[in-house]
Amino acid sequence: MSGSTIFGRSLAAALLAAALCAAPEFALAQKRGGTLVQITQPEPPTLASYLSTSGPIGQVTAKIYDGLFEYGFDMKPQPCLAESWSVAPDGKTVTFKLRGGVKFHDGKPFTSADVQFTIMEVLKKVHPRGINTFKEVTAVETPDAQTAIFRLANAAPYMMAALSGYESPMLPKHIYGTGDIRSHESANKPLGTGPFKFVEWRRGELVRLDRNPDYWRSGQPYLERIVVRFIPDSATRTALLEKGDAHVAGFGAVPYNDVKRLAALPGIEVTTKGYEMISPVVEITINTKRPPFDNVKVRQAVSYAVNRQFAIDNVWFGYGRLATGAISSNFKASGLYSADVRNYSVPNAVEMANKLLDEAGFPRKADGTRFEIVHDITPYGEEWQRFGETVQQQLAQVGIKATLRYEDVATWLKRTYTDYDFFLTSNFLYNLADPVLGVHRSFHSALIKQGTVFVNGSRWSSPQTDELMNKAALEPDTAKRGAYYAELQKLTAEAAPIIWVHELLFPTILNKRYKDVIVSPLGIYGAYNRAWLDR
Amino acid sequence: MAIGPGTILYVVRRLLQAVPIVVGIVVLNFLLLQLAPGDAATVLAGEAGGAPAEYVAQLRERFGLDRPMHVQLLLYVKNVLMLNLGYSFRNSMPVSELIFGRLGPTLLLMGTTLIVSVLSGVLLGLLAATAVNTWRDRVISVAAVIAYATPLFWIGLMLILLFSIKLDWLPTTGMEDVVAFNEGWDRVLDIAHHLVLPTLTLSLFYMALYTRMMRAAMLDQRGMDYVVTARSKGLAERLITYRHVLRNAVLPVVTMAGVQVGSLLGGSVIVESVFAWPGLGQLAFQSLFARDFNLLLGIFFLSACLVVVVNLIVDMVYLVLDPRIKLG
Amino acid sequence: MQQPFWRRFVRNRPAAFGLAFLAFVVVLALGAPLLFPGDPFRMVDRTFLPPFGAYLFGTDSLGRDIAAGIAHGGRTSLMVGLVATVVAVSIGTLLGALAGFYRGWIDDALMRFTEFFQTIPTFLFAIVLVAIMSPSRGSIILAIAVISWPPIARLVRGEFMAMREREFVQAAICLGMTDLAIIFRQILPNVLSPIIVAGSLMVATAILIEAALAFLGLGDPNAMSWGFMIGAGRSFLRDAWWLCAIPGIAILLTVLSINLVGEGVNDALNPRLRTL
Repeated sequence: MSGSTIFGRSLAAALLAAALCAAPEFALAQKRGGTLVQITQPEPPTLASYLSTSGPIGQVTAKIYDGLFEYGFDMKPQPCLAESWSVAPDGKTVTFKLRGGVKFHDGKPFTSADVQFTIMEVLKKVHPRGINTFKEVTAVETPDAQTAIFRLANAAPYMMAALSGYESPMLPKHIYGTGDIRSHESANKPLGTGPFKFVEWRRGELVRLDRNPDYWRSGQPYLERIVVRFIPDSATRTALLEKGDAHVAGFGAVPYNDVKRLAALPGIEVTTKGYEMISPVVEITINTKRPPFDNVKVRQAVSYAVNRQFAIDNVWFGYGRLATGAISSNFKASGLYSADVRNYSVPNAVEMANKLLDEAGFPRKADGTRFEIVHDITPYGEEWQRFGETVQQQLAQVGIKATLRYEDVATWLKRTYTDYDFFLTSNFLYNLADPVLGVHRSFHSALIKQGTVFVNGSRWSSPQTDELMNKAALEPDTAKRGAYYAELQKLTAEAAPIIWVHELLFPTILNKRYKDVIVSPLGIYGAYNRAWLDR
Repeated sequence: MAIGPGTILYVVRRLLQAVPIVVGIVVLNFLLLQLAPGDAATVLAGEAGGAPAEYVAQLRERFGLDRPMHVQLLLYVKNVLMLNLGYSFRNSMPVSELIFGRLGPTLLLMGTTLIVSVLSGVLLGLLAATAVNTWRDRVISVAAVIAYATPLFWIGLMLILLFSIKLDWLPTTGMEDVVAFNEGWDRVLDIAHHLVLPTLTLSLFYMALYTRMMRAAMLDQRGMDYVVTARSKGLAERLITYRHVLRNAVLPVVTMAGVQVGSLLGGSVIVESVFAWPGLGQLAFQSLFARDFNLLLGIFFLSACLVVVVNLIVDMVYLVLDPRIKLG
Repeated sequence: MQQPFWRRFVRNRPAAFGLAFLAFVVVLALGAPLLFPGDPFRMVDRTFLPPFGAYLFGTDSLGRDIAAGIAHGGRTSLMVGLVATVVAVSIGTLLGALAGFYRGWIDDALMRFTEFFQTIPTFLFAIVLVAIMSPSRGSIILAIAVISWPPIARLVRGEFMAMREREFVQAAICLGMTDLAIIFRQILPNVLSPIIVAGSLMVATAILIEAALAFLGLGDPNAMSWGFMIGAGRSFLRDAWWLCAIPGIAILLTVLSINLVGEGVNDALNPRLRTL
């Protein structure tokens, strides 16, 4: 497919740019033009991706804003707005050389001042995750327009995994630098350096993005337009994809059972790639401070009782991988994952659960039950309800009578992370790009923070595991980090404050006429600069 | 009915009378929503997949959620009385802008539904009543009884299944073709095309109701003295039906249609959700779960105003249909 | 009165059909624990078994017996419909009676109150109530009752206003009967029939509202109901039509038969309309 290409001038330029990007590119016969319709569910509340990390926002804004880096499937950073970079041996100074000649959509040049402003004034202050990611950054120096030097109080290797246009968008200082960044008048008129320009947002309907003709990778993007549609009804989303009226959808926008049918259609391709830097995990958080779950044997018992494979097969229709412990197997590549932990998915799991419950002092009563609890369900939709119903039935098998409770997001969050008024609740967390960002929060004693959501809600911690995490956070050597994390996974699996159910494999549905849409571990959070329509 | 100073005075008085009701609705809902666990800041933090406590505290301060409840309420009522509906922090937009953006699609759907259901209800009721106990009457009556018992969301799904997926005649959802970006007449036609299924779904129930009401009212009127008199005077049956009976039988249908504007708005929540119609119902639903109370209260305020105005219009229509009624 | 009413009722064929079907649903719902013992949420077999095989109505996405769901769900639907209606009719009757009997400022105040509830977009208000109280059978019943009583209040008020002028009421007042006695013993029995008719139709509406709430995910997660089954089966509309179709038909037929019965009662009580 590489030999037969006719080289036009613009295509040659595009290839040159691609080559500069260091990514392995093939000279495909990319064609200009076409509109890509993406379905994003639900509609984002705002387009201020520097202010909110609500999932759907990034699916739109990652096409508008570039980051300093892009990432390959090996999770390694690749140049984007930063052409090159270097990290000092102590890890406390990181120098970025910025690409020259890059222009924002309004024609103003992108410089180191924009980087300084974005990191110090925006992400470090108001970005929900940026506050942690850039915690160690004390200053960004700008010796010239093309150089940005990050000064750090302590080494922060995880920061280098969080510099994509999705996670840390580079903003124009000349626009967001004036006025209150928290309620900026341009919040919903995103303007960046990315391959697509924001045109309009029709609330409840769509966002329209048009090709940026002055994109710094000349020749790209290939698509003329991207339309992001918001369709509240899931059956309709499926129908649109099926009819070819929409071309890409991910993050569970299509019910898992429909995915199978769509996958069988000739014009549609389904991939589970493109979530490697997100690593979503389905779990059940156990309230370890509330009896009977303060007893480790009871926690281990329910860990055995929940039939993970049944949930994967019947609730998520196969789109999951058995989870073994605190860290997703997506970190196998980076050497941080370990399977050497207590295995709860054993054939005699029910027997083990019954035995542990007997030992813990909860014998079956005359009616066959041991005790009664309430099982809360994550308010994220149907699968979660079905999952709750299966858990209820499986707990009944070992003599635990569970009543289900399904409340809305605000109520559930308050119950779980402020009132701690629950026994077991299903939960959904991302491991993100690094365990420091996505895993520590569930176990570290410093993150038992009442009122803060998606932190240590089970309220279990131990000095030993705290120590392991503290060391791993600062350790630049991957092998040593891996050893710390192997120990962490072993200890947490033994203590069982969480039932890790499965690593959710979000299916992305793609119309086959559109090529090179999912090209990085950020998947739908990618820029789509290389996507093209084959007519 | 001539529009004189009396009419205007009446309209003004009615509108003034409605003010305390509308404000009361806003206050009641405000208080009710205070009982809802969790707040907008929690939801935003939750959607973000987690956020530091400082960040959430910042949000609360910005949203004014850190102030005492009565201060928030007084401020809100004061603003509403000055027709300022506040700011939706979640959407980073003034509430009025958000609402007016969605009002059009909702009014379009409600308006066409109201027209379609009243007209077809009256027509079908008339057809049935003028042929009592014939097959025509039976078919219409049975169809109406069944339509009246059908859950809205279910029939919506079934219509999509049949007309969009199986037959491919009509678009599945949405208000316009988003890829085409039509202009002018093309756009109007396109919207009309998209409007068919949602209107049909939402109309079905009301059409059935009005058909039955119309039929019953027609039969009722026919026994009235004035009809008997007219008949004895030798007026043709058709003339009696169309000049006298019809006019009087339409009255209860119109009243009912007016009373149901509120419920129509509620029903549109479901239809909008099934058909992805970008209207107020969906916005209200989302704002509730996001604890975006400025927005939700704004929608309650606006729909209450809408109901008041429509009721007033119904009374005006009454005057036209039945000159005997005096302004009270 | 008894005999002719009953005869008039059963002579009305749709009403007789409605009553028969309704009786069947009631028996099914009451007999559910005997016919389908155990938890209707229990997974009994493979998933997506088509109807009329090993299981009368097949199995759903988690391998639950749909027939069991229909029987147990009928309990929820009927119970929610009935209780919500009883609550709504009680509130409506009480307020309507007071307004119609006393008139004056009480009437003004109560009617303003009623108007208030008629100005709120009702279904939206029900959603708000259920979401705030968190979905459970109790909160759903309450929400349905709160949005359903105003028409009953208006109806009862009208009837009471008319009745109050009647001689037997005036006589009772002269005899010095207490207001409560007049309201409940003298007038109420005379206006029961329109209340019963309106109430029976309201049961049907309440079942539809419950189904709509459950469809939007606001049902009681521990109570099997028809709306819940449609909501849960909605995603499988094309692959397993019976998940949605069967409970949908159950709702349709039940609501239909309740309506037919309600109308039959109405016609039997007001024979004038029929003879036209």
